[in-house]
Order: sequence, then structure tokens, then C-alpha cells
Amino acid sequence: MADKFGILAKFDTPADIMHAAEKVRDAGFKRWDVITPFPIHGMDGAMGLKRSWVPRFTIVGGTTGFIAGMSMIFFTNAFDYKILIGGKPLFSPFFAFPVSYELTILFSAFASIAGMFILNKLPMHYHPALKIDRVAEASDDKFFLYIESEDPQYDDTKTRSFVEGLHPVEVSDMEA
Amino acid sequence: MSAERDASLPNPTKWLLIGAVGLIISFVGFFVDPRMASFCYLIGLIFTTSITIGMLFLVMIHHIFDAYWSTVIRRQAENFLAALPWMAVLFIPLFLITYLYKQDTLWIWMNPDHELHGHGTVGGDILYQKKTWWLNETFFWIRAVVCFVSWVYFARTFRRNSFNQDKDGSAEHTYSSRKHAAGGLVVVALTWSMAGFDWIMSLEYHWFSTMFGVWFFANSMRAALAVLILVAAFLVAKGPLKGIFNTKHLHDLSTLSFAFTVFWAYISFSQYFLIWNGNIPEETFWYNFREEGMWYSVSMFLIFGHFLFPFLFMLQFPLKTKYPAMVFMACWILFMQLFDLIFNILPSLKIHGQTAQLFHEPLGFLWLGASVLGGIGILLWAYWTSYHKVKIIPIRDPRIGECLGHNH
Repeated sequence: MADKFGILAKFDTPADIMHAAEKVRDAGFKRWDVITPFPIHGMDGAMGLKRSWVPRFTIVGGTTGFIAGMSMIFFTNAFDYKILIGGKPLFSPFFAFPVSYELTILFSAFASIAGMFILNKLPMHYHPALKIDRVAEASDDKFFLYIESEDPQYDDTKTRSFVEGLHPVEVSDMEA
Repeated sequence: MSAERDASLPNPTKWLLIGAVGLIISFVGFFVDPRMASFCYLIGLIFTTSITIGMLFLVMIHHIFDAYWSTVIRRQAENFLAALPWMAVLFIPLFLITYLYKQDTLWIWMNPDHELHGHGTVGGDILYQKKTWWLNETFFWIRAVVCFVSWVYFARTFRRNSFNQDKDGSAEHTYSSRKHAAGGLVVVALTWSMAGFDWIMSLEYHWFSTMFGVWFFANSMRAALAVLILVAAFLVAKGPLKGIFNTKHLHDLSTLSFAFTVFWAYISFSQYFLIWNGNIPEETFWYNFREEGMWYSVSMFLIFGHFLFPFLFMLQFPLKTKYPAMVFMACWILFMQLFDLIFNILPSLKIHGQTAQLFHEPLGFLWLGASVLGGIGILLWAYWTSYHKVKIIPIRDPRIGECLGHNH
């Protein structure tokens, strides 16, 4: 089977899958994931996930928004078409601030959402797990863990016996 | 848990002595250099009172939202509330100093014969005459009493409920605190704004800003959170809270501190922006005083030191979860908080005919240091006295189990 996506294991309780995830993490696998009906607190640590990169997108978006607001008002009011209002200076950071501030928030929000989509590889219309009907149980009361065949450590027989050693309820292959 | 005195923790009496020394120097100042010393005393008093009022707000916010993450640190905030009656006592010298001299030591509108720079006296000033219904001496002192009575009432209620719950574990105390928090938030928000208007804003009675009460609130919350972070770090380092207060709790406190940094900047900017944009002489003169000479540097220092630096510092997740970083930031915020009060209070000396050059007058440093030391000494004396009497966490609070397991 050349186009095998990976190995899927099913677990009955959140505790079982937490322990299994810790073992997979410690075994050094890189390309694997868990599918659960609800967020399990502590799973991030059990999977060895680092802090999200989304904040970096946010700060870039926010800075861009702030600079955009300031330069937009400078360009329109003090450069392209000079307007003198109430004896105020043509440009001052004070009256440009509220607009810049709003744009900071707007651009931060856009950048955060875009960053989230990019990092999660969304939109994802197809995933090999969807081919297996049993995975639908992950929206009810079962917990799944899979290791991809793309993982550098992956080996058909060794990884399968490793996954069986995690004491899952059942193990199956996933087609790509 | 901490019913018997732990020798490694500070002795309350030591702090009482430190406070007493500070206060005695301040009182000497009332006779040597009355105006400067009483202005500095006002700064010191408001600095310490704002910390305790901030604690009161934190306790009320905890109760009104039925929060769980803050349960572990709530007891320390309650310990600080023990200082509120003493803050009322420390307010009495301001009453005495007012009548020791010709009523215009601090609040010039109290003396109708006070000469205004260039245009007659206070009594003949139409701007004062229109405000007499609010700015008259009787009403002023009544308001101060109302403020302190309401604060002490709420502080005592929350402390009593919390300490009684340690004994009997009844949920009734939590319900009682929640009801009091609902009313207390409204009452304390109004009285604390009123205190800001009366004690600081009326120093220059021509000036008015509707933002002022909110600025006062934001400032006191920042100070209280900074003190709470310092106390938590101290108790974790010394042992009593070790293993109880975790970095997730620290992160939450830091995040709240960060939120109030932004809130403070938002309010301070809005106040400046509206006055700058409106450009009315009764309002702009207040900022004009603060753009002259060294006050310009102080203003700039506030923008960068009280907002931009803490903002960029606490924007970073790793720093918010580390004790050394947050201890540094808490000390920095407290220092800047004092600067902010100096910025708001001291330039008013100018309308007393003195140039407010605190930094060119060595005695000013002495009075300011003495009054801050006096206030802080009394505050920590009350805190440690209360600390040694009660348990270190509200051990039978319905939410305490949830709070101790708080790690996500």
C-alpha cells in the first residue's frame, strides 16, 4: 500500500488518550494528532505543543494598522489636500490617534484570524480520517490518535506495534 | 496555617515605627514649610489610599463575577483593607492644616480672600460663585466623611464574611459578599470619583474634567494590582504561598495589570485629547502648567514610562509568567503611579504663587519621601497585623478547590 496515510488508534476515555499522547510525544514523533469530542485540558502539554504563533501575526497586523492610520491622515489632511480646521495644526498625532487606534485593533483582528487559518492549514476540505466511518464516533464519546506515514520516524511494522503498545481499543490503517 | 507568627515574615511593629517616623517628619513639615509639606502629604495619603481602594475594587469584582481564579489571592487583598480606617485617621491632619493657616494651604477656594493671580479674589470670582453649592467647606468635609464611612463599611463587611467563612464554611457568607459587592461597586465608584474631584481636581477649581474620576479609578487599580503582585511574589519566595499560588495565577494578575495599563492610557489620552480639541481656556490652562519647564519632561516621562514601557513589557507572554520580571514591573508601576499623582497634584502650587519646583527644592524631596513612607508604613503595619491573625487563603471558600487546580 503505497499511499497509506498513517495508523489510527481508538481510545475509550480522555485519560487513556492523554497517556497515549504523552508516550507518542516522548517517542519523538512529529507528524501526528488526536481527534477528540471536546477540548481536553492538559492535552497541549501531553502532546508537547509549543505556544501558538498567532500572536506574531497579531503584532505585525497591529503595527501595520497603527502606521496605516497615522500615514493615511497625514496624507489626506496635511499632504494631498491641506485642510486647516479650527486653527489646529495640519497634522497632529492627537487627532490621528483615535483612527490609528481603531485600525490597530481592526488589523490585529484580521491578522489573528488569517494567522489562525494559515497555521491550521485552513480551509481543509479533505482529511484522510474522514474516509473512516468510525471516526464519526469522535463527535460522540470516542477518542482517536493517528501517526502519519510522513513522519521521519515512521516504519510500517515498528510504528504499528508501538501504537498497539499504547493499549488502544482498536488499531486500523488510514488510506490517503 | 499562619495563626502563629512566622519569624521569617516582617514584624508589623517595625512597619508601624517606620510609618510613625515618616508621619512625624511630615507633621514637622506642616510648620516649617506648610504649603509644600501639605501638598506632599496629600500625595502620600492619596497614594496609599488608592492602593487600599484598588484592593476594595478587586475584592468586589471578584465577588460580583463569582470568579474562581482570584480566590487564592483574595485574602491578601482583604488584609490590605484593614488599613482603610487608618487612612481615614491619616486624613484628619488635612482638616487640621486647613484651619491652622488661613484655610488656603491646600484648597484655595476655602479662603474667599485668597488673591487670584491678576484678577481679584476667590470670593469675587464668578467661576467660584457658581460652584459654591458644591465647593463649600461644610459640604466638602461631610463628603469626605461619607466617603470614608462607606469604604470602611464595605471593607469590614467583606473581611467579616470572608473570615467567618473560614470558621463555619457556610455559603451564606459568599452570597452576602456578592450582594454587598453589587451595591458596593456603585457606591465606591461614586465616592471614589467624588474623592478625586474633591481632593485633587478642586485644587485648581477653575478646571474640570469628567474623565477625572475614571482616571483616578484606573490609577488605583494599577497600584493595587502592582502591590498584590509584589505581595504574592514575596509570599511565594518566603514559603507561605509556595505551591499554592502558581505561575498561572501570576499570569492572570499580570494580564489584569496589563489591561489596566491600556485602560489608564485610554483615559489619560481621552482627557488630554478632548481638552486639546475643545481648546477652552478654563480647561487648557491645566495642561499649560504641565508643559512648562521641568513639567514637560515629567509629562513625557509619564507617556513613555507609565504607558509605553509597561505596555510593551507586559505584552510579552513569557515575562508575565516570571516572578523577577513581574516584581520589577510592579515596582516600576508603583513608582510611576507616584509620579502620576505628583504630576496631577503638585503643579497646582503655581496658583499659590509658588513655582512648583519640587526637584529644585531639597526639602520637597524630604516631605514627599516622609509622607509616602508614613503612608506605606501604616499600610503595611495594618496588612501584616491582619495577615498574622487569619489564614493565608480563604480555606473554606466554595471556589478555592477550583482555584488551586487552576493551570490552563
